[in-house]
Amino acid sequence: MEIDIKAVKKEFVGLRFDETTFKMKSERIAAFATGCGETEARFIDPEDSDFQAVPNYATSFHGRRNLPEHFPVDIRRSFDAGKCCESLAPIRPGDTITGSSHIHDIYEKTGRSGPMMFVVHRMEFTNQADTLVAIVDWRMVIRLGEM
Amino acid sequence: MILDLHNHSIKSDDGRAKVENYCKWITKRGLDLDGFVLSEHRQYDSTSDYRALEDEYGILILKASEVETEYGHVLLFGVTEDLEHAFDFADVRNPLEMVLRETQRCGAFAVPCHPSRTIVGMFSHYDELGPAEGVEVVEILNGGGRGTENADAIALAKKYGYRGIGGSDAHIVSHIGRCVTEFDEEIESIEELVSALAGGNYRACSVESV
Repeated sequence: MEIDIKAVKKEFVGLRFDETTFKMKSERIAAFATGCGETEARFIDPEDSDFQAVPNYATSFHGRRNLPEHFPVDIRRSFDAGKCCESLAPIRPGDTITGSSHIHDIYEKTGRSGPMMFVVHRMEFTNQADTLVAIVDWRMVIRLGEM
Repeated sequence: MILDLHNHSIKSDDGRAKVENYCKWITKRGLDLDGFVLSEHRQYDSTSDYRALEDEYGILILKASEVETEYGHVLLFGVTEDLEHAFDFADVRNPLEMVLRETQRCGAFAVPCHPSRTIVGMFSHYDELGPAEGVEVVEILNGGGRGTENADAIALAKKYGYRGIGGSDAHIVSHIGRCVTEFDEEIESIEELVSALAGGNYRACSVESV
């Protein structure tokens, strides 16, 4: 199956396709930090006056869709190519975080295994005050030769 | 003068190294390296200015590009605005012949990199496509080379009469300086690097041999 990456890019880059809400709980925040090996009290002790989630906490959030509807690639043919997280403001227990998904970029590259298409799913997270608290880019890669 | 001619920063989609951290690593480890080139994938980073880092660390930092062709990947040294507009650096199917022609027209210098690597190396296409015209220099030592890739590159470069450079192809901080190029002359700018590459007075070295 041939895929016209330029056409896919034109149709889907910038397209917002999902929005999900998450309620922040101190137990989960602390457990995630502990699991990451964090030792600072402000990340692992809910009683700390500055208790907050670790900067990469937003990477643990998932929306309801990985890709937009009608995206011409079966997600099952892709694999995770890593995440990148930018922390912009603290996430604290009790916050209501809204994650909004869009396709940020689609590009092609060639590696040892042949041509690949990369899809960058970006989630932007805002809190109840509409403050942008984090941006997470999730890269998916599809081997074009296997399509 | 010893330069690492092939490295990637976070500007490349698969790069994980901040440029300042390369400088810190080189300094802290006392690497015998006078400078390095950032050859970002499928783009030319025209906006980043590393002169402050150069001054702070006393390390020459130059910028280049790594583009993709039907013959594999090619390093472009001396990218100008003219060259940036000559073809789409993001296209993975640029014809090598066109890339070489435009590079030369714009006064830059093209070097096929990791030439013995499967699919993304120039020599891996020679059976099917024939030897490429217009190539003078290839990267015979690549820090990411596996198995016999570098040995094969050295042998084939000799067979086809190509000169050779070395580059680490670093994507993380600790990989810089693995393979380098030792120049006989001083180089202080990208223009002088382009001139030196054309001149031929250099040799590829791995970290053990520098």
